[in-house]
Amino acid sequence: MVADLRHDDFLQAEPAGPLESSQNQPSAVLTVEKLALSLAGKEILQQVDFSLSAIGVTSVIGPSGAGKSSLLRCLNGLESGWTGGVKIDGNDIRQWPGGWDQLRRHVGLIAQKPLVFNTSIRANVCFGLHGWRQRRRADGLVKASLQQAALWDEVADRLDAAATTLSVGQQQRLCIARAIAIKPKILLLDEPTASLDPLSKQLIEQSMLQLAQQIPLICVTHDLEQAQRLKGQVIFMCDGRVIEQAASDQFFRQPQQIETREFLRWSVCDCD
Amino acid sequence: MILRWWLSTSALLSSLTIVLVFGFLLQSSWPLIQQQGITFIIGDEWYPFESLYGMLPALVGTVWAVALALLIALPCGVAAAILCAELLPAQLRGAMRFSMELMAGVPSVVYGLLGMWVLLPLLESQLDLLTGRTLLAAGLLLALMILPTIMVLSEDAIRAVSQSQREAAKNLGIGWDAMLWRVLLPQAWPGIRVATLLATGRAMGETVAVMLVVGSIDRIPDPFYNFLQPAQTLTSRIGREMAEASIGSLHWAALLFCGLLLAIIAIGLSLLIQRKVVAA
Amino acid sequence: MSVLQQQYRNMLNRYTHGKALVLLLALPALLIPTMVLCYIFWQAAPVLDWNFLFGTADGIGFGVTEGIFSQLVGSLLLATMACLIATPFALGTALYYRTFATPWQQQLLSALFNMLQGIPPIVFGLCGLVVLVNLFSWGVSLLSGAVVLAVVVLPLLALNTLATLERIPNEYSEAGSALGLTKGAIILRLWLPRSWRQLLTGLLLAMARALSETAPIMFTATVFSGVVWPDSIFSPVTTLQTHIFYLAQEGNDPLLISIAWGSAAVLVLLVAFFALLARLLPKSGGN
Repeated sequence: MVADLRHDDFLQAEPAGPLESSQNQPSAVLTVEKLALSLAGKEILQQVDFSLSAIGVTSVIGPSGAGKSSLLRCLNGLESGWTGGVKIDGNDIRQWPGGWDQLRRHVGLIAQKPLVFNTSIRANVCFGLHGWRQRRRADGLVKASLQQAALWDEVADRLDAAATTLSVGQQQRLCIARAIAIKPKILLLDEPTASLDPLSKQLIEQSMLQLAQQIPLICVTHDLEQAQRLKGQVIFMCDGRVIEQAASDQFFRQPQQIETREFLRWSVCDCD
Repeated sequence: MILRWWLSTSALLSSLTIVLVFGFLLQSSWPLIQQQGITFIIGDEWYPFESLYGMLPALVGTVWAVALALLIALPCGVAAAILCAELLPAQLRGAMRFSMELMAGVPSVVYGLLGMWVLLPLLESQLDLLTGRTLLAAGLLLALMILPTIMVLSEDAIRAVSQSQREAAKNLGIGWDAMLWRVLLPQAWPGIRVATLLATGRAMGETVAVMLVVGSIDRIPDPFYNFLQPAQTLTSRIGREMAEASIGSLHWAALLFCGLLLAIIAIGLSLLIQRKVVAA
Repeated sequence: MSVLQQQYRNMLNRYTHGKALVLLLALPALLIPTMVLCYIFWQAAPVLDWNFLFGTADGIGFGVTEGIFSQLVGSLLLATMACLIATPFALGTALYYRTFATPWQQQLLSALFNMLQGIPPIVFGLCGLVVLVNLFSWGVSLLSGAVVLAVVVLPLLALNTLATLERIPNEYSEAGSALGLTKGAIILRLWLPRSWRQLLTGLLLAMARALSETAPIMFTATVFSGVVWPDSIFSPVTTLQTHIFYLAQEGNDPLLISIAWGSAAVLVLLVAFFALLARLLPKSGGN
């Protein structure tokens, strides 16, 4: 019966998302148990286990092909052929009321390459809202979302311009604004700053840190310094497994696992 | 240099074709324009024996027939395209596309035969009409003929919407319906638009099938929205009366003018199509 | 309300309606093609036999005597001649486009061909009547019809050839000119071997198109009866298309109508044959 109530809550609590509420009652907790995925006979993820605290950034690092991006795609249901258990707030995401589409409203995903729809900036931010009336009256929301994504100052005077006229860095921030406009419970970011200019990178990191005070963020990154800057937790993945999960400081100062040390040494050498 | 000569000549001749077509049509219909001015275009009476050559009835008939055809074929064709591109498994999709391509290949005279011996009796019995030869019959038949064009081109356009677009929309938790309305159709719109324009051109220029079912009565439907009346289109008029008109007569000139009108509208349509292609 | 019901209603609202609507709208497009083809062959079945295909009307029978061989030959003859006339022009124009044309000319050419493609075939029929039949005094003849049909298929052929030549990468031809080949040699030894299959495909499609056109040849090439075999290119022919057209209007004799259905079935098969051949051709070889 308790579970029933929670489901109903989900259905109705769409607009009143965690952006406002989570500060006093941080509730979104993600647990992943024995998550495994194979595509075309190849095992991408094997037995991934981890859990996330209510707020803060979690950086996922690891060599290419470790399954980092696939992990994110599993978590919001873009890949649905996985096995194991993923729970958000204690609810199995496979039994999410309303199916994957509803789940994705609570689990935002920012892709590596920003993709804006070829409409206005305003329409892009509102894209995820249900119903054209809501989209029409969303000025406040548009402003808030763009501010959170650190884009407002640059586009405040041309909200109706075509979104494709923005630079790539701005487009990526627009994608973030678009994702937080529907007030997700968790935000997943798949190398959000790879191949962006330094300024956009910095702005996006700032806005991520700000967001992380309200909801949990999972950020896949290749940039170890970025992982350090973002603080919070670090998860190290290799060959489809979670090797190590630790707080950022501790992770980089004294990695526990031998693979992690190898990886870090390699990367540091790389930098030099 | 023979090669260069051949290539340039053929290019020149091919591109001259269109000019020649216009030239001859204009030259042959000139007597009519000379004698009656240009106002006969909006005249609503076509009585060749009394030298009344009002183009309006056939123009209205053409517009009606094409509009009806589009009204029927566009939703159906686009829906079929969506079905094919998004919902059907691969084998069924192939089968459906194949059947559409076959249908596109069926000669128009065969459609005419079908219209005359299947559609007309059906309309007569179902709608209780005196004669099935109506604008509606022409519209239905044209719809059938342009359906493959619309469907095949729209499907290509919908399938061309990139996977990353779809995923970006999915990531916002957008359901199938909303995805369709707000991502797929807007993105595929240029393609669907071109398909529609091409289909419009095809429907407008279709002769034989329309001729057999439209009734060929030179009268504006009364009231004008009554599509259950016999009417005339530009093409069916040419097809019906060309054999009767004596060469060089005003009637002949008037029929050639109908052809000129068709050609002008067709050029307009293809300019519309090409402008979009350049822009997109 | 239980979770299950809620989920069910949710699903129903969010997805099923849209999909059901799409399916409903698309239903005619799913069913009608099959129905149309089946109906044609069902109606044609009683008359389709060897005699029907290869018998000839005796000339006085006004098409009543079954046998459509002369019409079949007439159709094929017209279509083949049309393609033969159109091919050198289409090929020449496309090659000109690729070799000598300035960008401005290229734009003009492709725009012109797109326009030409959009013009209704009956307009060409009219022009043919004015120019070829009357002005040149060729009369209603095989030649007039073939030229008119050639103009109808010209844009199709030319645009297809253009698209084929476009697909040949620039490096390919540059490698040729680097070896000192002349333009003619590049065309003959590099382009044609590489793309003849697609060109043939285009030709077959043009054949199919030429076979299915009725309006342009109605006043320029065909008569209903009185001719069994054309004895020169200046004599009129009978074709399947116009045969069907005239028979369809002979309402009072069921036999005539069934002959019309039979001819329709043969024509559909003929067109489908060329279209299928065109589809299968590139797969058989590939590059």
